[in-house]
Amino acid sequence: MNDIGQKIRETARQLLQEGQVDCVIGYEASPRGGVRPAFIYDAGEAERLVWSTRAVHNLATYLHDKKKPARRGEAPPRVAVVVKPCDSRTINVLLAEGQIERERTTVIGVTCDGMVDESGAPLPRCVHCAERTPVVYDVLIGSPPDVDVAADDDADLAHVEALPPTERLAFWLHEFDRCIRCYACRQVCPGCYCTTCMFERDDGLWVDAGVEMPGKYIFHLGRALHLAGRCVGCDECERVCPMGLPLRLLNRRLAREVETLYGYRAGREETLAPLLFELGEEGSPI
Amino acid sequence: MKFVTQDALRVWLDQLAQEVDLVAPRDVEGHVLYRPVASSAGVLFEYQRPEMSAKDYLFPATEVLLQIEQRGKEMTLEEIVPERKQVLFGLRPCDAHGAAVIDALFLQQEPVDAAYRRQRERTTMVGLACPRMWEGCFCTSVGGAPDAADHLDLLLREVDGGYAVQVVTEKGAALLAGLELQEKKGEPPPSQADGEIVPVAPPQAWRTLFEDEMWQRHGERCLSCRICTYVCPACRCFDVVDRVTSVQPGLTCSERIRVWDACTSTNYRRAAGGHNSRPTKPGRIRNRFFCKFCYYPEDFGPLGCVGCGRCIVSCPVDIDITEVMRGVAERSDG
Amino acid sequence: MSGNGSNPMRPFIGRLAGIRDVATGIRLFQVEMAETEGQAAAAGYRPGQFAFLSAFGAGEAPFGLASGRGPYLEFAVSALGHVTHTLHGLEVGDPVGVRGPLGNWFPMEEIKGRNVVILGGGIGGAPLRPVIHTILDNRDDYGHLTILWAARSPDLLVFTDEFDEWRAAPDTEFHVTVDRGDENWSGNVGLITQLLEQVAPQIDNTVTITCGPPIMIHFAFLTQQKLGFTPQQMLTTLEARMHCGIGKCGRCNMGEKFVCIDGPVFWQYEIKEFLEGFL
Repeated sequence: MNDIGQKIRETARQLLQEGQVDCVIGYEASPRGGVRPAFIYDAGEAERLVWSTRAVHNLATYLHDKKKPARRGEAPPRVAVVVKPCDSRTINVLLAEGQIERERTTVIGVTCDGMVDESGAPLPRCVHCAERTPVVYDVLIGSPPDVDVAADDDADLAHVEALPPTERLAFWLHEFDRCIRCYACRQVCPGCYCTTCMFERDDGLWVDAGVEMPGKYIFHLGRALHLAGRCVGCDECERVCPMGLPLRLLNRRLAREVETLYGYRAGREETLAPLLFELGEEGSPI
Repeated sequence: MKFVTQDALRVWLDQLAQEVDLVAPRDVEGHVLYRPVASSAGVLFEYQRPEMSAKDYLFPATEVLLQIEQRGKEMTLEEIVPERKQVLFGLRPCDAHGAAVIDALFLQQEPVDAAYRRQRERTTMVGLACPRMWEGCFCTSVGGAPDAADHLDLLLREVDGGYAVQVVTEKGAALLAGLELQEKKGEPPPSQADGEIVPVAPPQAWRTLFEDEMWQRHGERCLSCRICTYVCPACRCFDVVDRVTSVQPGLTCSERIRVWDACTSTNYRRAAGGHNSRPTKPGRIRNRFFCKFCYYPEDFGPLGCVGCGRCIVSCPVDIDITEVMRGVAERSDG
Repeated sequence: MSGNGSNPMRPFIGRLAGIRDVATGIRLFQVEMAETEGQAAAAGYRPGQFAFLSAFGAGEAPFGLASGRGPYLEFAVSALGHVTHTLHGLEVGDPVGVRGPLGNWFPMEEIKGRNVVILGGGIGGAPLRPVIHTILDNRDDYGHLTILWAARSPDLLVFTDEFDEWRAAPDTEFHVTVDRGDENWSGNVGLITQLLEQVAPQIDNTVTITCGPPIMIHFAFLTQQKLGFTPQQMLTTLEARMHCGIGKCGRCNMGEKFVCIDGPVFWQYEIKEFLEGFL
């Protein structure tokens, strides 16, 4: 672990010193325990970077902030970003959607044996995750750990799906009722980058601005649908939700649908085109 | 001291629930939240700090300001006036402090905010002191205390076998009918006010740091979500929009609603035509912190922060208001 | 004070008495107040103040009032968003809501006896129209009047129907420019700042009043300073996205100042003191 941290610092220092990148996005120790995102512009600051089993954040989401030049007339910054295997699929999604430029992005991939929460418990997505090496990287740090992966039984999802429709609806209405419409789920999501979200239009075309049902319900279903075939399952939306909405359930349901129907897994390969760009005339897969 | 047993308190709450809109802390799927209750069943008496403040019940996240009816070319506008009294039970002192901060702008600055005044007037706030300070709490740094009675109408403190009751205002006293009070010797022990003291730099010190690099450092992590502003007992930004509720031949009904807004959101300052005078995340979080420690005290009196720590524990990227406060204090000293 | 008695967020009901286009995509709405209280509020209007105009069911938006000499509150509205698009769909006789007039106003009394230079850019010219009328209607109270009027293109020049009157007024010069001309345009082409340098108005005993998009105000101030105007001679009115107009909603702060209650009219020396810029 410390070894990985050391290598991240060395890599960052070198990239910045040699002028290969303008910024390295990684993790620093948080005063509140755990780690938090850090932005390093100077090789001398690379010391701040750390690695930890608490490095849960998907830093690829910050690449959207780096699409524009810092000052008018300049080129956009060249950015290096530290990614775990799950985050690395975000890089591919953003490349496929034309959001980032490969030549301006240096991917520092880190092998991963699973992240933990504050209490030290493995994150739900990590328990079943079989991806131990990033799918795209320029620099790879760490060696793929040899860990047992529990087969994904989707028990929680199966439980909800087994409910009769009225109970299933009641379950979701009950959950979404807690939503405070803080939009943290959307803001943290690397796949949510519309300039104006359809749920925040000033004409209230789809939902009005009220923090009420059914607007909250429509927002969450709409958001999930917009991410079908694009969500990489980083679970950041569920992590950041202050009300603990089980958004992971929705995302996995849609990801499974897309995989079953089209054999498509978001961000699996660097050359993978977005699912909806590739549907044939008969709705055939890739 | 005035004393009430747990059982007598429940009887009183059951009675109140019949007479008024009663709001109390509840466990909602593992989250402690202030929620309307129909009786004392389900009311929490032992809890830390509810995850959301009680702001929603004085300054609702969604509030209908006007009901609008248009018949042909004729308009009627009707203001919504809540009829029932409201009792907020189990408030933490920081929540009452937050209401006082909003009062300073909505009630004490002309013109008075009519909708807020109505909510405030119909509400009695019954506090339950925090026995100690929780993770992230720093109320004692900003003029509060875990057992502060200020801004409440009644304050309860847990003592052996029940609660000590402190009557703070006449409004509080008026609520006591039906509460079986006993006189007991002694005073309740003070709460453990052992939280860290965070330095509060004066507005003038903040002014010297408007262009400091720290805003870039803290702001770059920001996700531009609204968690910190929505959990805050003292944030008060709002938006006003209309929504059509029904359309029939010759009759269109709509509502003008006020909804919470957040100065952290991307398009907060986007004007018609697209100009955005606060286009960056560092600029926006700087505004939030300056509002709390510079603008609000300069313009309206109180600090815009009550030290509840909710924004600290709920920020997904660990933006920590006390780290900012310390940074400002350190830099302005140098 | 706006609003109905005890509630400043309740609009007064008004009726559209007249609608006309004053430039491409910019429509002037004349509003007749229907309620007594609203009529009293409207009667207190002073040039520079703003008001919210409601299209009921769509919402309300703030506008710098463009009122002319008639009995109406007048709003120049460019269709840019939901409320303004809805307003553009209304007809004469339709009901609207008005909250206002709100905010401070141009110090027309204080600047009596002084020369006035007016710089209006695009729809920013709207709140300057009542200033021009005030000066022309009280011509002896003010010194030389210089009007510089600009827009991105000729079709976006507002109040062209009043140009002849302004040109013909005594002791008044009127200059107009556009960023880009068209086949029918034979006038000045160039930015208002260039025009200002060419016109080079007298500095002594002169006050400038600038209104337009933020970027124009910024550069117009720079040019005025270059010409020798001091911050005590330069006035402007700022736009901001506001939701309440009464200092509560938080939207329009520039540092500790609120455009709605501390403005919208500011001297440049006041703006210089803001912690946060308007640009």
